Amino acid sequence: MYRYDEFDHAFVSARVEQFKDQVERRLAGELTEEQFRPLRLMNGVYLQLHAYMLRVAIPYGTLSGRQMHKLAHIARRYDRGYGHFTTRQNIQYNWPALSDMPAVLDELASVEMHALQTSGNCIRNVTADHFAGAAADEVADPRPYAEILRQWSSMHPEFSYLPRKFKIAVTGADRDRAAIQVHDIGLHLKKNEAGELGFAVYIGGGQGRTPMVAKKIRDFLPIEDLLTYTTAIVRVYNLHGRRDNKYKARIKILVHETGTEEITRQVEAEWQAIKDTDLKMPQQDVDAIDNYFRMPDLPQRPEGWSQLAISRKADPSFARWVDQNVTPHKNPDYGVVTISLKPIGGIPGDATDAQMDLVADIAEKFSNDEIRVSHEQNLVLPHVAIADLRIVYDLLLTDGLATANAGLITDIIACPGLDYCALANARSIPVAQRISERFGQPERQADIGELKIKISGCINACGHHHVGHIGILGVEKKGEELYQISLGGSGDEICTIGDITGRGFSSEEIVDAVETIVDRYLLVRTDKEETFLATYRRLGAAPFKDALYNETANAA
Amino acid sequence: MSDISESVAGELWGREGFREDPYIAAETLEETGDAPAVILPLAAWLGLDESVRNATNRKIGVSVAPGESIDPLLPLLDTIPLIALQFPAFNDGRSYSKADILKNQNHFKGELRAVGDVLIDQVAYMLRTGFDTMKVTHAVTLTRLAEHNLHDAPGYYQPGRGSHTVPGAYSWRRVPGGA
Repeated sequence: MYRYDEFDHAFVSARVEQFKDQVERRLAGELTEEQFRPLRLMNGVYLQLHAYMLRVAIPYGTLSGRQMHKLAHIARRYDRGYGHFTTRQNIQYNWPALSDMPAVLDELASVEMHALQTSGNCIRNVTADHFAGAAADEVADPRPYAEILRQWSSMHPEFSYLPRKFKIAVTGADRDRAAIQVHDIGLHLKKNEAGELGFAVYIGGGQGRTPMVAKKIRDFLPIEDLLTYTTAIVRVYNLHGRRDNKYKARIKILVHETGTEEITRQVEAEWQAIKDTDLKMPQQDVDAIDNYFRMPDLPQRPEGWSQLAISRKADPSFARWVDQNVTPHKNPDYGVVTISLKPIGGIPGDATDAQMDLVADIAEKFSNDEIRVSHEQNLVLPHVAIADLRIVYDLLLTDGLATANAGLITDIIACPGLDYCALANARSIPVAQRISERFGQPERQADIGELKIKISGCINACGHHHVGHIGILGVEKKGEELYQISLGGSGDEICTIGDITGRGFSSEEIVDAVETIVDRYLLVRTDKEETFLATYRRLGAAPFKDALYNETANAA
Repeated sequence: MSDISESVAGELWGREGFREDPYIAAETLEETGDAPAVILPLAAWLGLDESVRNATNRKIGVSVAPGESIDPLLPLLDTIPLIALQFPAFNDGRSYSKADILKNQNHFKGELRAVGDVLIDQVAYMLRTGFDTMKVTHAVTLTRLAEHNLHDAPGYYQPGRGSHTVPGAYSWRRVPGGA
């Protein structure tokens, strides 16, 4: 993985020193909260419902054991013993004191981390496929390009006061695990017919109150043009994106109002003017960054296969975990392990300091010292030998980290909601917990199969409900929390925005409503192979609406 | 704090420090008498007769609001002594892109000025995108500028004015200094 050089260290230290000065001035009363606001936001410090919140960047979700130990230490020393992994592959601390923030940033800097550009109208933390560099189906590792974009976008003088926040995601596999089509820029790393690497470029995707699937504006962009082309896109957006209404300020609205053809023309025209400038990347620089992300030397471990067969037969729980949470690795002797942060009835994405330390220890020993954070709020051990799966499983089991539900109905994404967030209209976490308890029985989950539930506590859609197979949006109506359901959303390579079923459900009704939908699915699917999403795409909303509203009407 | 900011209020800031502003801003040329250096709004400037615009006995600069396009100016850059890009609010970043287009893409040789609500943290960004001078209203910014406290970074991850490459470093990186 990428390591800071002197340049990076000096850059981050200077920012921490600057922020220390600003916090001191705020605490001394020299800065008002209003004056302090833009300064703290540049350093990832939000003011939430109950306290200041710190959002730490985990670039493209990649961490070392040492970094994860540091996150655990921060949770223990400066927070209440836990942290919350987010849908942007970041971690949030909900309870640090403002006076401790500079110390926390110092601690982060000591392990090559920071909280820069985790808020504000700038280019945010660049995300990537959480299986990058390990997945068997990958064309090329997207992280070198995410790292180049991270560097280039850091404190960018032209792009730090954009109309609104700006999110870039990169994937290197045809199976899109990074949801690139709901990002401001989505990059799909692929090979052309000549076998050269390049990107398909998508712009204008996003969720929030106006969900839109991104438009492809270029089918193949050579690697050397990554930074010039991105500059052209962001420049067109900076100049022409709407600034009169913050809800219409994202690039998706500009793309929609301008038209894909015209905006493509503008981007291409701007690019022609700058494509041969200093930002055109020499291959040697790309190679140097790429070198940091080379596949580690993984020893052959063929003995794992026979051991696995024996362990599986002896322990059905272990077998279920392997089936659900281990995905194929480029090296057949290895697997990619998803560590579920969705224990039945738990809070999605939360991890205690002890859990973080445990994951760090396991990674150091059994995953080439690498950990990933997924946008689905789970952790990933990218390089685990099949021969070590049993011991890794046993270790995870000691602290509730071996839930075998990756991709299943209880692997729920939920935003922090009204329990923490100043913007929320409704609670998300308790709804996620109750759904998880309702469907938590292992055989039942396995029978239902792949089903992604995503819950947002307000229209800003941090819980990605628009792309949930079942999406739940909390709204406030006459002082009551009400939950709207949408169906058929998907954030993968066939990206769709879910359809709203109809009137919403109360907090008491919502779990029953989800169960009604699931029961109807089980009834109408062709067989166990047909997933919920496939069934929905075949039959549309009608059978589910019928189940939801007719039954509810009868019951009432 | 306010003492310093008052002493330099209304002055022009550049890399060399504060100085008197030779220009006066006006809505029309008529109301400026025989002032030797004038800044007019874009529409008024574009409405001037070419002979007036190019007169050698006075300088006539042009002021551009964030929502206005600089395209009509591009063919005329050789004749413009000053372009003032307005920052009515600190968070409207359109003029950063315009600065880059004017200075780096079209090699505008005249003075490029930022006018308005500029935060101290933005000054270094402005210099790097191509601004030469600043006419600032924000009291804290004035004080910090007077103290030569620019909030700059030790290195940059992008090319920009006032920086240079380091041999062997990634092509997109720069350090402060030089052109």
